[in-house]
Amino acid sequence: MQTVTIKPKKEIRISVEAENISPDKFAGKTEKDILSMEAWMGNHKTTLGELFSVMVEGSGPAADTKIVMDGDFSRIKRIGEGMTAGLIMIKGNVDMHLGAKMSGGKISVTGNVDSWAGREMKGGELIIEGNAAYYLGAGYRGETCGMRGGKITVLGSALDFLGEHMCGGEIIVKGNAGILPGLSNNGGKIVIEGNTSRPGSEMAKGTIIVNGTVDEMMPVFKAEGTEAVDGITYRKYTGDVIVNGKGVLYVK
Amino acid sequence: MELLIKNGAVYDPFNGIAGDKTDISIKDGKIVDKVSSSASVIDAGGRLVMSGGVDAHSHIAGAKVNVGRIMRPEDTRSGIKPRTKITRPYTGYTVPNVYAMGYRYAQMGYTTVFEAAQAIMKARHTHEELEEIPIIDKGALTLFGSNWPTMDYVREKNMDKLAAYVAWGLLASRGFGIKCVNPGGGEMWGFGKNVTGLDDVVPNFDVTPAQIIVSLMKANEMLGLPHSVHLHCNNLGKPGNYKTTLASMELAKQVKPSKDRQVLHVTHITFNCWGGTNWGDFESKADEIANYLNNSENVTTDMGQLIFGSATTMTADGPVQYANAKLLHAKWANGDVELEDASGVVPIFYARQVSIHAIMWAMGLELALLTKDPYKVLLTTDHPNGGPFVNYPEVIALLMSNKKRQEEIKTLHEAVHKRTKIPGIERELDFNDIAIMTRAGSAKVLGLLDTKGHLGVGADADISIYDIKPDQIDPSVEHAKIKSAFQSAAYTIKGGEVVVKDGQITATPMGRTFWVDATVPEEQTEIMMKDIRMKFKNYYSISLANYMVQDAYVTHPKVVKAGVIPVEVS
Amino acid sequence: MATVITDALCPFCGCVCDDLTIVTENNKIIEAKHACKLGAAKIMGHHRIKAPMMRKDKHSDFKEVSYDEAINEAAAILARSKRPLLYGWASALCEVHKKGILLAEELGAIIDNTATVCHGPSTLAVHEKGLPSSTLGQIKNRADVVVFWGSNPVQAHPRHMGRYSVFAKGFFSEKGRKGRKIIVVDVRKTETANIADEYIQVAQGSDYLVLSALRAILSGHADVVPAAVGGVSKEQLSKLVDTMKTARFGAVFFGMGLTQSKSRYKNIDNAISLITELNSFTKYVIMPMRGHYNVTGFGQVCSWETGFATAVDFARGAPYYNPGETAANDLLMRKETDAAMIIAGDAGAHFPADSVRHLAKIPVVQVDPYWNPTTEVANVVIPVAICGVEVEGTAYRMDGVSLRFRKMIEPTHPTDIEILEKITERVKEIRGE
Ligand code: SF4
Ligand SMILES: [Zn+2]
Repeated sequence: MQTVTIKPKKEIRISVEAENISPDKFAGKTEKDILSMEAWMGNHKTTLGELFSVMVEGSGPAADTKIVMDGDFSRIKRIGEGMTAGLIMIKGNVDMHLGAKMSGGKISVTGNVDSWAGREMKGGELIIEGNAAYYLGAGYRGETCGMRGGKITVLGSALDFLGEHMCGGEIIVKGNAGILPGLSNNGGKIVIEGNTSRPGSEMAKGTIIVNGTVDEMMPVFKAEGTEAVDGITYRKYTGDVIVNGKGVLYVK
Repeated sequence: MELLIKNGAVYDPFNGIAGDKTDISIKDGKIVDKVSSSASVIDAGGRLVMSGGVDAHSHIAGAKVNVGRIMRPEDTRSGIKPRTKITRPYTGYTVPNVYAMGYRYAQMGYTTVFEAAQAIMKARHTHEELEEIPIIDKGALTLFGSNWPTMDYVREKNMDKLAAYVAWGLLASRGFGIKCVNPGGGEMWGFGKNVTGLDDVVPNFDVTPAQIIVSLMKANEMLGLPHSVHLHCNNLGKPGNYKTTLASMELAKQVKPSKDRQVLHVTHITFNCWGGTNWGDFESKADEIANYLNNSENVTTDMGQLIFGSATTMTADGPVQYANAKLLHAKWANGDVELEDASGVVPIFYARQVSIHAIMWAMGLELALLTKDPYKVLLTTDHPNGGPFVNYPEVIALLMSNKKRQEEIKTLHEAVHKRTKIPGIERELDFNDIAIMTRAGSAKVLGLLDTKGHLGVGADADISIYDIKPDQIDPSVEHAKIKSAFQSAAYTIKGGEVVVKDGQITATPMGRTFWVDATVPEEQTEIMMKDIRMKFKNYYSISLANYMVQDAYVTHPKVVKAGVIPVEVS
Repeated sequence: MATVITDALCPFCGCVCDDLTIVTENNKIIEAKHACKLGAAKIMGHHRIKAPMMRKDKHSDFKEVSYDEAINEAAAILARSKRPLLYGWASALCEVHKKGILLAEELGAIIDNTATVCHGPSTLAVHEKGLPSSTLGQIKNRADVVVFWGSNPVQAHPRHMGRYSVFAKGFFSEKGRKGRKIIVVDVRKTETANIADEYIQVAQGSDYLVLSALRAILSGHADVVPAAVGGVSKEQLSKLVDTMKTARFGAVFFGMGLTQSKSRYKNIDNAISLITELNSFTKYVIMPMRGHYNVTGFGQVCSWETGFATAVDFARGAPYYNPGETAANDLLMRKETDAAMIIAGDAGAHFPADSVRHLAKIPVVQVDPYWNPTTEVANVVIPVAICGVEVEGTAYRMDGVSLRFRKMIEPTHPTDIEILEKITERVKEIRGE
């Protein structure tokens, strides 16, 4: 078992690209190795050691590597990008692209995350106790597939376009979601406990469940009566009819 | 500047050299008889030496290419390399940025590449991009197949005016030759329709595709253009289209070549040798095309080889692109040009387990392997339609190794066994064949054999050296080595300057842009211009004064003279 | 003695009219024939900045300095920045854009253009759906149904209708206006709506819903569409679908009413899909009504040079693109930008208040012929010649047709190109390259 503890050394205003903060990169590495790993602050190439204090206990493979981050990381991007295993526990807020393209392992955040968390995620788990910004579990610009697998849970709310182009996996938002969740979906499951607007536009496949109110319904769904899911009765819709969609939208 | 390349195993088919240890002398960017003792020396050490690669059909610059980039940031983000002291950043795979375009070709040992389609009205854009592509020499073919003046003159059977229009259009676009895409179809796509065969009549213009093709071939030979008419056949993308392709080739018999070359180049056969009547009975008829080529003398082709993975289809064939977009549920860009032609761009992913893609993969290879004379089939992927040009080494390896083909076939949809002949074809091409398909043949088809595609005295000193010792390798078995050697040249020399060493860019000189200045008797041009002026006054949305590509966009021109009055090539 | 330039191009809006007659005398333009009011105003000139200026802080007054001093200071500001922004470009020629991209590479900067506050969203939609379009002449010669959606050419593109879309006569459209049905879809009754055959009023922020309803009806699913969507009755929607479907050639021109309202680029995304689907019935094209004359050109140049259309971040040496993260306002709103160069575009007038407030706090270099609100937040101001009037070069019309501007009069100031080249040289020196 390897535990890496990271704390910010100073206040950071210009975002730092720190895809090296990942169990895959830290596994088996010493404090010195990690301190000298590359990070970018704007156009300035720097090291993790310049920005953070790092403490390493034990050594192990990625699956047995735990990264504990304590402090304000709201200007640190790409944490856990592409990770395949291990654990990242963040006490604080983080910047964009948290866990983008991750395929395994788990990331938990006590604070808020900025846009594109879980972008193109393939597997593993992302737990966000605060709020998520735009494009949670979405894709990259122009790409036809966003999240393909894994699970994202947000205890707070999420902004617009969550789960855009989702092809698989699951997103649960305990609070509200912004407009157009599940846009152009082709699989996967989205559960929104709170309110949202215009869900499921252009959805070809997949499931969206809204337990709060839907502010505006897209005029592209066929009403299919009511159906009980986990003991709760929903109005059931299928669509988007424009794309001959087989998606299912449940609204309480 | 003098340079001597010693101890190369030289393959120069045009000059009848096939692997002989020959020295090559270079002075002032040209190949010469001999150089002084102060020349710098490259010891090829028995490695493979060929003239620089020549690509006669690729989509490297212009409106459609840029639309591809704009609509595909997901493509652009692949293949990214940061800038270095010598190179600007590289981006993209199927639609690379201008820098990657030049660098990657040079890294493969290619030094001359022709953009296969530009509308005259958008030629300024093509040249803006060509001006930014480093290292390689280039040029662009100009679309004439659906232009209103073309169709008017074909209907009126006025060959003088047609020739004058072609000459003027080449000047206006700084174009190198006549490209003809789905003739007549471009106009019909203006109202969302298409022609379905060579003898359909184009409404309002009262001409047929067959008439357009034949007339353009005649005009081409009247003008004595270096290249022949370059045809993208009607019905492309439709099962059963091989019949249209054969019928189009048959039209070539009506015209005599003005030079020692074909009168018709039928491009990217992978997309128009389709048998069957629908997607269910879809099959390869590449063998029929090869059979035709084996029994005729005035038609050449190129493969348009399919490469599995991501591709971006882009063509002036507007209707086929809409059909593609619908079939694939893919994003679709359309770019029709008033009075001239159509165009469309659609991304595609070719998958091994999709029967149609597996069959298409076989088509290009069948064509190349069943056609006896390699001068009749150029190696292309119709970049980026069949796949990006960086895959040429893969195609070379496939052509040189039956073993590799059989290994590939095992990974493909079973349709490749029943609907193609590829599993049973044992022929393996040699370095001489490859040198023809990628150099001498392309230069001959383009009409550039005076300076390109060979290593004889007087040729441009465009040379590639590959890390292969031809006498020590069995390409059939060591196909992986063949592929990696062709991917990254040991040396690429462009105009006498080393631009690539060990696969890395070492210098980025600007190449030249070839265009054809064809002379027509002035009176003929003047009569024709009356019609053109009328069309600008009434129909074009820009002024005639702002139409022609200005000199500012062709800063390194290489003008090839042609014309009704015979003028010697400069 | 008066000189006359015919077939001159107008450097104001995305129509890039190329039929102007310019009369000059003693290196002054005295007449711009055929130009509309907007174009003539630009060509005839206004409020030039006379000489380079600098000031210590944003509260003190500008002092005139030499070009060398201003260029040195500009280079110093940019070279020391960790997150420089190079913004503007829409009123400059493509030759300037190339130099700008080279400088951005050299600096590791973000380069973005004014599309970010107008038609940037259209590009995001093109990534999703492509763009079925054509040159404007196709519309002039063929269109019998023309829809202006959230766009108002009477105000913003005065000659668009005459030259290309409404009154223009062509080969298949000899009757001009009489042979065309003009439809305006907008939240308010615009001047263009007043001359249209049909006006459809959409409730604020409901374009996306209305577009989806049209697509549903077109695809044979009218049954799922409620009685009214976004303030438009189902009957009216069905009628619109019928009109659109039965066109011989239809064109849709959209404007900022669509790109800058609720759902933003997704509106365009949806509109593009509607056009794509209409092509199963008849011919349709769609086009953004681009504002500045060469905002399209920046997108073209940036795409062939970097692979991405705009908002390119060179921080790590290789281009990275992700609007929402790398566009000018994304960085300014987060207060990440620590120095900016605003060139051939006004940030002061068009950015959200928070962005402008941040610009007021960081060092700003302005390169522009004109005094404008950006000048108020600048530390270094470098006046230049007017592209398209005093400088020749390339611009792309809204339909992607490139045209070459000729010089109308001799410049009295250096060109943007010269300034950018000098700044780039100076930056290299500072960095010891
Ligand atoms: S419409 Fe636009 S381009 Fe034409 S004259 Fe007016 S401002 Fe200039
Ligand atoms: Zn092609």
